[in-house]
Amino acid sequence: MKKDKVKIGIYELTGCAGDALLILDCEKELIDIFSAADIQSFAMAKSDNIDGPLDIALVEGSVTTEREIEEIKDIRQRAKIVVAIGLCATVGGIQGRYKPHSVWEADYKSVYGETEMTHTKPIQSQPIDAYIEVDYYLPGCPIGKDQFLNFFTRMLGGNPPEKYPQPVCVSCKHNENDCLLTKGEFCLGPLTADGCGAICINHNLPCVGCWGPIEGANYTSEYHLLKEKGFDPEFIKKKLANFSGTKIGKLIESIEKERP
Amino acid sequence: MRIVKLHKSNLMSFLEEISQESELWAPVKKYEDKHIFKNIEDFDQIDLDYTRTILPPKKLLFPPSFRMYEATPKKFHADFSHISKKTLFGVHPCDIHGLLIMEQFFKQSYEDPYFSEARKNLTIIGHSCWPDEHCLCRSTQTHIVEEGYDLFFTDLDKNYLVWIGSSHGDDLIQLKPDIFDEDVTEKDIQQFMRWREERDKAFQSEIQFEAMPDLMELKLGDSVWEELGEACLACGSCTSVCPTCNCYNVRDNPVLGKEASDITRCWDACTLENYSAVAGGENFREKKSDRLKLWYTHKLQAFISKYGKPACVGCGRCVATCPVDINIKTVAQSLQGEKVDAFWRRLNQEVTQ
Amino acid sequence: MNTTKPQSIKTNPFLPEPARIVRTYDLTDDVRFFQVRIADMEKALSFRNRPGQFVMISVLGAGEAPFSISSTPSRPGLLEFCIRKTGIVTDALFRIKENDLIGLRGPYGNGFPVDNMVDKDILIVMGGLGAAPLRSVLLYCLDNRDQFGRIILLHGAKRPAEMIFRDEFLSMKERDDLECYLSVDEDDSGQWTDNIGVVTTLFPKLESIDPANTYALVCGPPIMYKFVLKELVNLHIPKDQILMTLERRMKCGVGKCGHCAIDYIYTCLDGPVFTYWDVLHMRELI
Repeated sequence: MKKDKVKIGIYELTGCAGDALLILDCEKELIDIFSAADIQSFAMAKSDNIDGPLDIALVEGSVTTEREIEEIKDIRQRAKIVVAIGLCATVGGIQGRYKPHSVWEADYKSVYGETEMTHTKPIQSQPIDAYIEVDYYLPGCPIGKDQFLNFFTRMLGGNPPEKYPQPVCVSCKHNENDCLLTKGEFCLGPLTADGCGAICINHNLPCVGCWGPIEGANYTSEYHLLKEKGFDPEFIKKKLANFSGTKIGKLIESIEKERP
Repeated sequence: MRIVKLHKSNLMSFLEEISQESELWAPVKKYEDKHIFKNIEDFDQIDLDYTRTILPPKKLLFPPSFRMYEATPKKFHADFSHISKKTLFGVHPCDIHGLLIMEQFFKQSYEDPYFSEARKNLTIIGHSCWPDEHCLCRSTQTHIVEEGYDLFFTDLDKNYLVWIGSSHGDDLIQLKPDIFDEDVTEKDIQQFMRWREERDKAFQSEIQFEAMPDLMELKLGDSVWEELGEACLACGSCTSVCPTCNCYNVRDNPVLGKEASDITRCWDACTLENYSAVAGGENFREKKSDRLKLWYTHKLQAFISKYGKPACVGCGRCVATCPVDINIKTVAQSLQGEKVDAFWRRLNQEVTQ
Repeated sequence: MNTTKPQSIKTNPFLPEPARIVRTYDLTDDVRFFQVRIADMEKALSFRNRPGQFVMISVLGAGEAPFSISSTPSRPGLLEFCIRKTGIVTDALFRIKENDLIGLRGPYGNGFPVDNMVDKDILIVMGGLGAAPLRSVLLYCLDNRDQFGRIILLHGAKRPAEMIFRDEFLSMKERDDLECYLSVDEDDSGQWTDNIGVVTTLFPKLESIDPANTYALVCGPPIMYKFVLKELVNLHIPKDQILMTLERRMKCGVGKCGHCAIDYIYTCLDGPVFTYWDVLHMRELI
C-alpha cells in the first residue's frame, strides 16, 4: 500500500524571505525534501505553483497589508496544519516591534505622508496568529537548518515536534562559553529561545534575542540585573523590545510595576 | 598506596608517551580567566595553572548530546561510536569526587552501558590545586581524594609526588619507568606536609554541610525559596556546570529519506520550565521556586540522607556561573541564617521596598 | 580513530524490543485498548511482570513514554494496555494499526506488593483511567482467587460511555467471589441500572470491612484521591496498607534521567506504587 505524499506549501508574507531561503539552502537534503513531500507551492524555488488543498502550510513573514490578511486566511482555509516559521510570522518581527506611547497610524504618516497606496492598504505589522489559528511555531531569525529538518521529518511521519523550550544559555554552556551577562555585557540569552546553538556567543558576541522570547522567561529579573550592571532603564526596554514582537509589549511595560 | 616522584622536566615526555595510546585531554585556557578540558593537539596548550574548568569532566563520560541507538521498524542498533580511549590529565580532587558520584549513580540498579563503557575507556590523572574564593571543597571533604584515579600528581615546586591509584596507573608508570624516582626523601615528605597545611589554610569559604538536611527540611516553607524563584532566570546553567547533575532528555530525531530515527540523549536541567511537564498539559513543577527546591534538595538533603555525603563536591562552578548569584554558597548561607550578598537578595529587597 | 567495539555489553536497558500490535479497539472516545506481543517468541513468553509495573513504549519517529500494564502476569504471552490520547506518543499509537511494530522495554517499577497481600482482603478503588494499572492487579487476584480474602471493586466513571472496560466489569458483577460496585457521576444514556454518584457514594454500600486485614489500592484522577483517601482513613485502614500508583514525566524508566525524582525517590524505581504513608511524608508526591 503506497501512501500519498504529504502536500506542502511554503509561503512568504512580509519579511526578508530568509526562512524560505534557509529551506532552499538545505542543499544536501533538498532532493530528499522534494522526494519525500509533494511541494505544491514554493514561490522562491519553483514555478507552476498550485494553490489547492494542503496538508501543511509553512508561512514566513508577518501580516502588514490588507491583502496579506486575505492571503493568510486563504492559506488557513486550504491547509490542515499551519506552521509559523521564523520570527516575523511567530511574533511579528522587527517590523512588529513594540514601541510604547506610539500610534501606528501617526508613525506611518510621518514616513509616507499622504501618499496613496493603490495596490493594497498597509496596516500595522502582526504575527500571523493575530488573524488565524496557528498549529505550530518554529521560531528563528532565520530558522535553523537542524531545527527545520527535524521538524519537517517529524511532520512527514505525522508527529509534531516535542515542545521543549530552552533558552540560548543551554547551548551556550554546552559550548563552554564564558557567560557574557556575568561579565557585565548586555546579553539576552536567558530570555531567548535556543535553536541557533548560541552562535553569537560562540563568537564572543552577546545574544540580541533574534529567535524571540522563550516561554516563561524572567524579564523582571533580567531587567533589574542589567540595570544593576549599569545599563539605562530605557535602553534596556528598547533592546528587550527589538525582536520581541507585538505580544511582549505589555510585559516590558510592566516590568517595573510587576511586584509580588 | 605507592608514591613515586617525577621531576617536572620529564612531564611532557610522559604525556607524549601516554598520548600514543589514547586521546589526551587536559585543561586549556579558553578565556583570560577560564579554562576548559580539551583534546590536546599541541602540548604547549596545556595549562595546569587553573582553578576550575567551565564544564566538569562529566562531559567525557556523558556528553551533552549523543546518539544512544538507531531505531528502525524491526531493529534497534545501539551506538557506542562516540566512545574512544581517553586520558584526562590534570583533574582536581573535587572533580574526581564528582566522577565517583556519577559512576556510583549510573552503575547502580540498571547499569548504564554508555557511561560504563566510556568510564572503562577513561584514564584519570589527577592534579593538586589551590583554592580561590569560590572553592568549598574543604567543607564537602572533597579537597583530598583517595580513590577514583589512576595517577595523582601533587605539585611540589620542582617535582611532582605521584600517587599510583590503580594497576592501570602502575602500567602507565611502566611506560617510562626511568623518569620516575622510587626514592621519596624525608625532605620531600616535609615539603608535602607544609604544602598541605598551607593549602588547607587558603580556603576562604566554609559551609556546615552536616546541618543541611535538617535545615532544608525545616526551611522548605521559608520565603527564601520564593525570593530565589523571583530571581532565577531558569537558564539551566547551574545544572550544566554541576559535576553531579545527571538529568537528561531523550529525543527521537527521524532521519530524512529513511525509515529510521536517531534516538539521542541530551543533558536536561530541572530548572528549565518544562522539566516536569507530562503529556496532557500537567506540569508538576511549574514554579521556578519549586524547581530550585528540587535542585537544592538533591544537592543538600536527599543525597546526604541516602549516601551520607552531599551531592556537592565544592567545585564552586555554580558560584562562578549563575548570573543572579543563586548558588550552593549563597543558598546555604541563607539557610544558615547568615547575611547574604547576592543579586537575588538585592532584587527582592528592591522589590519589597 | 579509537572507536571501541564493546563486546562486553550484554544488557542495554535503553534498547527496546520490537513488539507487535496484536489487537486494538476503542474502549471509550479517547481511550483505546492495545494487545501487544514481543516479536521474539521466547522473550514474549519469558516476560514476567508484577501487577502495577509499567513499560516504556516507543513509536518510530514520535518518541517513547511510560505506560502501565493492564494485563496480568498470570496470563503470560500477551501484554495489554489501555491508553488515553493525550500527547505525541499516544497520538502516534492511535494511528498505529494491528500487526504494526512498536518498541517496548521493561517491566519497570516496584508494582503492587502482591506477596504481602496474600490472605488479606483487597479493596480496589478506581476512577477513570485509574483502571489501567488496577485491572492488572484485579485480574491477578481473581486468577489466584484462593490466595486472597474478600475482593472488592469500586469503579467510578463520569458517564457510562466513559467507563473503561465497562462490559468486562459489568459481567464481573455476576461473580459471587467478587464484590463489584460500579458508579457513574451522571447517566446520559438512560440505560444505567447501577449506582449514580461519585465513587465515594459507593462506600456506604460496602459490608463491614476488617481494616487491619485490608489492603486498599487506589488509582484515579487527583481530585478522586482527596475524597477516597478520607473514606479509607475513616474505615481505619492503616496508611501503609493504602496503596496508590502515581504518574510522572519519565524518559528512561530505569532511574537515570531524573525526571520522575521526588527528593531522592525515583517514581520509576521506588514507585509507581506508593503507600499513603509515603505520600504523607514526601511533600511533592501528590
